[in-house]
Amino acid sequence: MANFEAEGGTTRDDLVQRVALMEEMIAEGRQSTARFGWCFVLWGVITLIGIGCQYFQPNSYWDLPVVSAVGIVIQLIGIAIRRRSGHTSNKNMQSRAIAAVWGMTGLAMVVYLGPGIMMHDTGWFFYVPTIFMFLGLAHAISAIILRWWVQGVVAGLWWAGEIAVCFFAFDYMRKIFVAEMVVCMVLFGLYAMWLERRRAAALEQHHA
Amino acid sequence: MLELPELDPVVHGKLRLAVLSLLVGVEEADFTWLRDKTGSTDGNLGAQMLKLEEAGYVAMQKRFAGRKPQTLYRMTPAGRKALAKYVAALKRLLGGAL
Repeated sequence: MANFEAEGGTTRDDLVQRVALMEEMIAEGRQSTARFGWCFVLWGVITLIGIGCQYFQPNSYWDLPVVSAVGIVIQLIGIAIRRRSGHTSNKNMQSRAIAAVWGMTGLAMVVYLGPGIMMHDTGWFFYVPTIFMFLGLAHAISAIILRWWVQGVVAGLWWAGEIAVCFFAFDYMRKIFVAEMVVCMVLFGLYAMWLERRRAAALEQHHA
Repeated sequence: MLELPELDPVVHGKLRLAVLSLLVGVEEADFTWLRDKTGSTDGNLGAQMLKLEEAGYVAMQKRFAGRKPQTLYRMTPAGRKALAKYVAALKRLLGGAL
C-alpha cells in the first residue's frame, strides 16, 4: 500500500506512483465484495435434506415445504447477521447485476415450484429439467458477468444434467439430481467460500 | 521539480486520490470498506473524507444497517469532473508514460 503520509510529491516518480495508485484502486473498486458461497452450500444441503426426507418417508407431503421454508428462514437470518456484523461492502454495477440475476432466479423458482410443492405435486420429471435449466442459466449469466470460467463449467454441468435426465428413467434421474446438488451447489459453494476467505486473507496481508 | 499549476491539490493527496479512484468505480461505499481497501486508519481517512466533502467531491450519508450506524460515501458530479481533470493534467505532464 502506498505511503499516504507523503502528500505533496510532485516529481515525475511521484506522478507515476499516483497513476499506479489510481489503477490499483480502480481495479479494487470494481471487485465485488459480495460473499455468496454460503448460499450455494445452504441450498444444496437444504435440497439434499428435502430429497432424503422424501426418500425415507415417501408419503410425507410436508417435507419439502417445511425444508424449503427452513431454508428461506436461514437465508434471511444469514443476511441479517451479515448486515448487523457490519460486513464491509461497496455497491457497484457488477454486484447489483449478480444480485439481480440470483434474486430473480430465486423468485422465478419460487413462483414455478411453490404451487407444485404446496399442492404436493412433486412430479420429478416435470420439475427437475426446469430446475436444472434455471440454475444453469443463472450460473451462465453470472459467469459471463464475473468472467469466471469455473462458474461457466458449473452452468454447463447443470445443462448437461438437464439433457441427461431426459434420457434416463426415474431412478437415474434422482441420482443425477443428487449428484448435481452435491457437485454444483455444495462443492461449488465450498470452493467459492474458500476463494472468498483467501481473497480476504490476501487483502489483510497486503495492508500488513 | 515539475510545474504543477493544473493539479488540483485536493485530488493530489495520496489517500484522497485513492478514495476518489475507489469511488469512481462504485455507486456508493461505506467507510469501513474504504478504510480496508486503502489500509488507512479511521482518523486519517475521516480527516481526508472531510476535506473531500468540503470540496464538494464526495457526498456523505449516514444510515443504520440493523442497529449499526453506517457511513456511506458517493462521488458527486463535481468529484468526477475534478478527477477527470486531474487525470488529463497527469497525462499532459507525463506524456508517454501513460
